[in-house]
Amino acid sequence: MLNALLLMKQELAVVAIIFILLILKLGKDRSNVTFLNIVNTLLLLNVVAGFFWNSEGVLFNEMFRTNPLMILEKNILSLGTLIISMQSYSWLKTHKHVPEFYILLLSTLLGMFFMISGGNLLMFYLGLELSTIPLAAVANFDLTKRQSSEAAMKLIISSAFSSGLLLFGMSMLYGTTGTLIFSQLPAALNGSDLQIFAFVLLMAGFAFKISVVPFHLWTADVYEGAPVAVTSYLSVISKGAVLFVFVSVLYTVFKPLAGAWYNMLFLLSLLTIIIGNLFALRQDNFKRFLAFSSIAQVGFILIGISGSSQLGSTSVIYFVLIYIFSNLAAFGVVILVSAITGKESISDYKGFYKTNPVLAWILTIALFSLAGVPPTAGFFGKFFLLMAGAAKANWMLITIAALNMVISFYYYLRVVKAIFMDKNEQPIERVAMPLMPRLALYVCIIGIIATGLVSYVYDYIHSLTAPF
Amino acid sequence: MGAVYLIALIVAAVAFSAGGILIGKLLNKGSKNPQKGEPYECGIAPIVSPWHQFNVGYYLFALLFLIFDVELIFMYPWATVVKEMGMVALVEIVIFIFILFLGFLYAHKKGALKWM
Amino acid sequence: MSLVEIIFWFLSGLALISAIMVLLSKNPVHSVLWLIAVFFAISGHYILLNAQFLAIVNLIVYAGAIMVLFLFVIMLMNQNAETEPRSKSTWIKLAGAIAGGCLLIVVVAAVRDSENLIQNIGGKAYAKTAVTTHGEIGLIENLGRVLFTQYVVPFEISSVLFLSAMVGAVVIGKKD
Repeated sequence: MLNALLLMKQELAVVAIIFILLILKLGKDRSNVTFLNIVNTLLLLNVVAGFFWNSEGVLFNEMFRTNPLMILEKNILSLGTLIISMQSYSWLKTHKHVPEFYILLLSTLLGMFFMISGGNLLMFYLGLELSTIPLAAVANFDLTKRQSSEAAMKLIISSAFSSGLLLFGMSMLYGTTGTLIFSQLPAALNGSDLQIFAFVLLMAGFAFKISVVPFHLWTADVYEGAPVAVTSYLSVISKGAVLFVFVSVLYTVFKPLAGAWYNMLFLLSLLTIIIGNLFALRQDNFKRFLAFSSIAQVGFILIGISGSSQLGSTSVIYFVLIYIFSNLAAFGVVILVSAITGKESISDYKGFYKTNPVLAWILTIALFSLAGVPPTAGFFGKFFLLMAGAAKANWMLITIAALNMVISFYYYLRVVKAIFMDKNEQPIERVAMPLMPRLALYVCIIGIIATGLVSYVYDYIHSLTAPF
Repeated sequence: MGAVYLIALIVAAVAFSAGGILIGKLLNKGSKNPQKGEPYECGIAPIVSPWHQFNVGYYLFALLFLIFDVELIFMYPWATVVKEMGMVALVEIVIFIFILFLGFLYAHKKGALKWM
Repeated sequence: MSLVEIIFWFLSGLALISAIMVLLSKNPVHSVLWLIAVFFAISGHYILLNAQFLAIVNLIVYAGAIMVLFLFVIMLMNQNAETEPRSKSTWIKLAGAIAGGCLLIVVVAAVRDSENLIQNIGGKAYAKTAVTTHGEIGLIENLGRVLFTQYVVPFEISSVLFLSAMVGAVVIGKKD
């Protein structure tokens, strides 16, 4: 009994936080600041506790399994959630529904944990639903803005459609194999046409969630309409969680179909990188810009996955960690600026350096890391991804990816140029940084630099991943 | 063969309702005039379309109803096995109901159950 | 053709026709009514699979409660025949028809192919799809036994899902 509780400690911790918040909400009214302090302390405790009492095991007929790699993935997600929570301090301070925001956000986190730990397709599906449905409600949290409701509507409908595809694929998979348990599926997969078809549907469901072209159409609109904190959560945490599961499912459950999914990944990654980059070139809204940039980043991750080696899974997890730091640093600045001035377009950021030198530097480092400029961690992340992809000796893929990295330099540096060089009559006024967002941004910057330079991080992840 | 009875029942049900409609159509010497199509045959003529946007409160009620509907449906299979499973099943269902009860308290506190 | 097969084909035809009518109806309320017909047909399928409990649940939850939600959403969005958008251009319809047809061909081919793959287990020939003739799982005791042992984690998580649905709906619905 105690052992079972220990195995599920991260899930239980999140559930406990949800209950504490709910009970606090049911009690007497408290001010937002008190709530935010309580929540951030609890989240910090959650992250810290995640690193202790680690164990490995399987519960409830493989419904739930855990191992050090999964614990690490969950810790990465908890850390990202904590950073977002601290960054959105200024936005939430004046919001009317702070406890509800956290209840919904943490239920999605719980869903992701179960999705990562699920050893059964049903469990995986339930986790996925739990991690998307409350997000749609959270996307509507700018209650007075029409655009926010539109974003929520688009998110819920597109995610319902993709879960429909996923369920259809799962039911056919069950029909042909007679099992939904991950450990039994590989032996039952024989590559018959119906199984390939079921797999294509599953793949489409995944592709929707990580917004791979051609399933990306919802991304830009939802990112633009949702509150910035939710956008950053969507682009980093929920995408990261699905990517973790995607890698492990492809590498273990669907290993017998590796030939089929390599071709799919090849096509999808090319399309995703090219279209993500070309559309990112044209954007002026900062959130739309980051949306398309995140689509292009997912394309690079797919190249890493297509390598189908231990290096593949290591580099993907490593890159997601780096991506969380870099994207959150960029979003953190956008959240601060948008909460105080309401400005969200790139042309507003002209002359940003004159008024906010510190924020300008943070944004620049984040963009450099997203582009993959050498001293930052983004460079190492992309380098390992391409290395993993190169193992298949598909030089066309690698060449096009490398060319696209050059294109991406152009649009990231365009923003940097606007910040440092362009003149502006009315630049964004000086934005005050409260303690919490400042801490969060510094953590991100340290992460961006340290993850790349300290080789221990990569080695540690590599020691946990399983050989292909 | 139970299936025979099933088919007979289906056919009988369809025949019964279709027959009623058919007889009504045959016996009725219908007179057509525009007033027949109105919501009230006598009284004030409606001035706007009866299609109106509903208040969102209805939806809230329906959703809360649906959630507790599903909760009760989970209790049917529980009721059949609780005797043989004993304490474990009891604990499981109590956790389940407790979580939903917290949600109910929340909705109550926010005044979602008050009419408008 | 046995009686069960006759019922199967009848229900399948009913489900398909009703599903098509859901899409073709101009009035969204009619669509909802056709959808109820679809649910009834599917409940019939559940009974054929010896899953009476699931059939009844399908009727209570889907045809009963969820359809009410559908109707409220339609009333909420104030959708009716007059506000229906103009029909799409012929090219889009053509493209949709071709795409749907391709999907149909792929599905039919894949299913046929899997039927041809007969495997031999213990002297008996089985299709390589899972065998579903001994369906006792839909009976309420079996379902309960599985739900509260093997599937207890999903069961408890679903309550968190309900909780978050409730919280989300109340926050969005009560704008004061």
